[in-house]
Amino acid sequence: MKNTIKIQRAINNITQEELAKLVGVSRQTINTIESGKYLPSTLLALKLATVLHITVEALFMLEKQDWEGIN
Amino acid sequence: MQSSLLFPQKCKKIGLVLFIPFLVLGIMNLFYEFQFRWLDLPVHLPLKDITTDYNLTNELAGIGILLSLLMIAFSKETKEDEFIVQVRLESLQWAVYVNYALLAICILFVNGTMFFQVIIYNMYTVLIFFILRFNFILYKTSRSASS
Repeated sequence: MKNTIKIQRAINNITQEELAKLVGVSRQTINTIESGKYLPSTLLALKLATVLHITVEALFMLEKQDWEGIN
Repeated sequence: MQSSLLFPQKCKKIGLVLFIPFLVLGIMNLFYEFQFRWLDLPVHLPLKDITTDYNLTNELAGIGILLSLLMIAFSKETKEDEFIVQVRLESLQWAVYVNYALLAICILFVNGTMFFQVIIYNMYTVLIFFILRFNFILYKTSRSASS
């Protein structure tokens, strides 16, 4: 799954630290989500979308490999 | 892991402070038979009908090491969020796999009284492996977040 957090942060002109504070997580968590190493929970994804003024679908997008292994 | 099952954040420092003296006491007791005299407990042996002293130094060291390791391992982090929870659970699983893989190797290749020593160490190594792996991952992610 890819995400546009970095782009949306740039549009909203906020740092990882500020975004982390707004959604109540650590900067490490935002960094690992942004780099695709960690997939956030639905709750955190909704919080991120809300503070970045965007829909969850525009913030997180499924990739082809996310469908692999499904018959 | 639910944060309600974790110790308060300050317990990590208390655990680190307590671990060193209890570890030294455990090593001194195991290898040099050091004992605190004030921990002698009179025990009656009914079969021989005699009363003898049983020393509780090794019990004190064992429980001290266990409690301090538990406090280091399961204290809340500064920012206890869902990523930390996932790293904690993965590290715990990793530590259990590594610990029992090593135990399996020891079952095959270690015999006699040496195996008894392995069992003593194995009581604590699962927590030690967990602490090392969990803190290494947190260190690695905080470094990559800083750069």
